[in-house]
Amino acid sequence: MSPRKRLLVIDDDPDFVDGIKSILVGADFDVDVAYNPKTGLQALQAKSYDLLLLDIMMGRGAEGVMIARKIRKDPKLRELPVLIITGIREQIAFLFPGGPMHPHFVPVDELVEKPVEPKLLLERVSALLQAAEARKAEAARG
Amino acid sequence: MSGVENESRLLIIDDEDVVLDSCTQILEGGPYRLATAKDGEMGLRLVQEIQPDLVFVDLKMPGLSGFEVLERIQVADPSIVTVVITGYATVSSAVDAMKRGAYDFLPKPFTPDEFRLITQRGLEKRKLVLETMALRREKALLQEHFAAIVSHELKSPLGSVQQNLFALSQELAGSLTEYQSARLERMKSSIDVLLKLIHTWLRAYSADLEGIQQTFGPLAVGDVIAKAIEIVQPHAVRKDVEIRPTIEGALPSVSGDEGTLVEALVNLLGNAVKFSRLGGLVNVAASKDGPKVVITVADQGVGIAREDLPFVLGGFHVGRPGPEAERGSGLGLAITRRIVEAHRGSISARSELGKGSTFTIHLPALSPNANGRASPETELARDSQKEASHEST
Repeated sequence: MSPRKRLLVIDDDPDFVDGIKSILVGADFDVDVAYNPKTGLQALQAKSYDLLLLDIMMGRGAEGVMIARKIRKDPKLRELPVLIITGIREQIAFLFPGGPMHPHFVPVDELVEKPVEPKLLLERVSALLQAAEARKAEAARG
Repeated sequence: MSGVENESRLLIIDDEDVVLDSCTQILEGGPYRLATAKDGEMGLRLVQEIQPDLVFVDLKMPGLSGFEVLERIQVADPSIVTVVITGYATVSSAVDAMKRGAYDFLPKPFTPDEFRLITQRGLEKRKLVLETMALRREKALLQEHFAAIVSHELKSPLGSVQQNLFALSQELAGSLTEYQSARLERMKSSIDVLLKLIHTWLRAYSADLEGIQQTFGPLAVGDVIAKAIEIVQPHAVRKDVEIRPTIEGALPSVSGDEGTLVEALVNLLGNAVKFSRLGGLVNVAASKDGPKVVITVADQGVGIAREDLPFVLGGFHVGRPGPEAERGSGLGLAITRRIVEAHRGSISARSELGKGSTFTIHLPALSPNANGRASPETELARDSQKEASHEST
């Protein structure tokens, strides 16, 4: 058995976080939470995580995008899988007028909409974790 | 000071001292701040300086002509109301002036009452113009921010409630009675309905429908219809309604965005099913008509009253309930229309109460060798440049 996977949720809506945290904990994940981008980034520096669940619309705008960009620039965090959880696709369309509905902020992200059904959430989380493991194995071989 | 704020600012431009003097006298003591100018040049300077509500312009003056002064005032501030004073009361010069934006005309000679009346009317017009402008600005602002407000103020908290219901029903699985689970399920489905309604509002108000044109590609209408039917089918099965497609062979492609075009058809098919009687039939057909592809969705349901028909495609119109008291949000058809128009198409409705409704969509057909970019692109290209320039970072 592989050790328990450690996930970080960054989302400024404590109610929503409660709602997904309990699903993830129920599926035997270790879950840390940050309620704003600043403590979120601090947590990412302080500990190592297997996956980040990231809200896009935080604070005064799309601060989640800012986090995603920082992650991509950081050699330590670049490989971290990111599952983007966002209120609505429309909001993204507002931010990126004319852009595709699913902009790839980061190379390995997936996007789910709030609210997310437990089954779908867990499927996406496992898929991203597996893909990350496969990449790691590949890198070790190569 | 506060009295000054309520004073209307009037400007009279006339080369005759006697006109300026008598007008000043007539309005003396009223709630006006009156300025006068002896020629067009000076008048235009005063327009800039005092920003009048109402300007009287003599048509026949030495120097700048009254017509030219009118035009320049229009350019400087189209909300300023102008009235022309015409010495030679020929209808044609007054009509000419009004064509160029003057609100009314005052033939010389005029009585004090005539002048007072026209002043009053002109100022009322100015008030209406300003109010209309304010309302337009407010409407634009509301429209712009509506989506953001709704999404944040309503959708986020509702989404969180739903997320917790999802979590709770998982955590409590096995320990709830059947009755308790049923109530939990009902709560989830109610919130789902609310979230979908908000989603629909957002679709109707968001500006992203114009953006879809940038990803237009060639689409087979038959495929679009098939996808839409697939989505509506479960609902049709529940009502025992048959959806019967008739797709003409060798139909040309159209240029479009599959997702939204499917959404448009889902709205039409969903309505057709919703307003059909149990065991009814919905015909969906696609054919070629000259340079257009024509899609029709026809039901044999309750129909739309003649007086309602002109409004169904307009938005926020909630028609009569269906056979099982079904009602819509009143926006589905408005969104459908916007989607069709974004595809440079048109949509129309025909209906007879009690016999059913037919919605017809016309879309420009792609010529067989086109690769998805239809020809009338100049306008589009400009739009997309505009879009790209305000892309945020």
